[in-house]
Amino acid sequence: MNTVVAGITYRALLGRRRVVLLLLLPLALIALALMFSFFGGGDQRTAVLLMQNFAIGTLLPLLGLIAGTGVIAPEIDDGTIIHLMSKPISRPLVAWTKFAVAASLVAVFAAVPTYLAAWILVGNEDGIAAGFALGTLVAGIAYAAVFLLLGVVTRHAVTIGIIYALVWESLVGSLVPGAKRFSIQQWGQTVADQVVTSPFFEAEVTLAFAVPALVVVTVAAVFWAGRRLRVFSLTGDE
Amino acid sequence: MSEIYDIGYRHYDGPRLGRHHTVLALGVHSLRGVFGLGRPARSKIMPFSLAAIMMFPVVVSIATMAMIQQRVGDYSGYAVVMQAVVAIFLASQAPTVVAPDLRHRVLPLYLSRPVTITEYVGAKVAAMTVALFLLVAVPLTVMFVGDLLVDMPGPPPTGEYLGAVTMAAVLAVLLSTVGLALAALTPRRGLGVASVITVYLLSTGAAPMIYAALYESGYRSAGAWGWLINPFWLVDAAQVWLFGSTAHIPDGAYPGGPAPILIVLALIAAAMAVLSARYRKAASQ
Repeated sequence: MNTVVAGITYRALLGRRRVVLLLLLPLALIALALMFSFFGGGDQRTAVLLMQNFAIGTLLPLLGLIAGTGVIAPEIDDGTIIHLMSKPISRPLVAWTKFAVAASLVAVFAAVPTYLAAWILVGNEDGIAAGFALGTLVAGIAYAAVFLLLGVVTRHAVTIGIIYALVWESLVGSLVPGAKRFSIQQWGQTVADQVVTSPFFEAEVTLAFAVPALVVVTVAAVFWAGRRLRVFSLTGDE
Repeated sequence: MSEIYDIGYRHYDGPRLGRHHTVLALGVHSLRGVFGLGRPARSKIMPFSLAAIMMFPVVVSIATMAMIQQRVGDYSGYAVVMQAVVAIFLASQAPTVVAPDLRHRVLPLYLSRPVTITEYVGAKVAAMTVALFLLVAVPLTVMFVGDLLVDMPGPPPTGEYLGAVTMAAVLAVLLSTVGLALAALTPRRGLGVASVITVYLLSTGAAPMIYAALYESGYRSAGAWGWLINPFWLVDAAQVWLFGSTAHIPDGAYPGGPAPILIVLALIAAAMAVLSARYRKAASQ
């Protein structure tokens, strides 16, 4: 961790209007939860539905994408990364620092609102709030690592990330049963299932597969991002 | 009206094409930029692969019409079924139309010529609108031509096809104005992509949730309004009212009457207001 690099990255992501984008999603989740509880839909089935479809299905990949690519892609895009690259800081350390920033942002803007939204609906019943907060946290960290790598590898990181999140995780994951094993969302749901005891929720992937997969994907993605940064070359704008 | 910048080296006495030509040139340049024409190959990958994905249902549809004499999917529901692809196209390409000029602060250069802010914004919106219209209407037209060539039993669904193409134009105007307004808020391309797709995914994720919450607690007619949050379902609701097609939503029905089309018009007006305010500010920087 290099605190100066971390500080600059925090300022770049949280400064001015950009924080609106990060706030929009959690606020929408909490607004939906408030609406459900206002119209009397505050039962466990609704809560699990909201958590599965909205918190893990929509909010988490988007926040992971915005935080993961946001910590590095804009700097590469406008070329200011050259100032960071020319400093005597090891490139893998830069990658780890950027990853730590992205992971902390996902924790604050995804895991905490998820807990709040579930708590508004069902309180602490059957560990739904705590379980989904934990699942969002671990899956969000993995997303942050994967999208950080994507941001280093390609300039179309955001678009490719959206296609991965929308097409692979939502479409292919729901049509081809085997593809579910290779989906970060599903791994997060498995972790959530360890805490949640509600009868309305059941994860599809076993814990013995999900935990090693999460760890391997996260570590490998950050490690590879560091490797890519070491041989990074700035190419001209399109 | 038009002026040639005479700095005294060499005089220009060729034809003067007028300011309409300036706006047209700006629009054509932006439209080419949306599809990456005149740019390196890697800028063409994304728009053309998304356009190719839009053709998949057409190929499947023509094949089934030719082989088992059955229509799969209808013209009126094409945009709703393919909405994720259209939204990704809008998100990935809208920033390429507006972001570079804002980032390099070249707007005062444009405005030093006889181009007003209204004409500049109009050219950009027109370019994005034409691109989105082509993205949706070309596959529809190919499907219709295939339908005619296969010569299915019964009269050809000309009315439904023309309705779908009309609504594709409405959808293109709505998406391009709102998409460009969102993308123009930031000069960074990645953030522009993220903000457009965030708004789309929020609307798509929230619509069924709001419908379910209102419907199950007894506010059935109010629940129908929940679908109108998503732009594709909003335009589909307008199509149901205007052309009498079937609704393409997972559950329930749209609120009837002219409300959806009025909402579309209000959204377009609001987005145009945001765009002109944004560019008036950018021009003075």
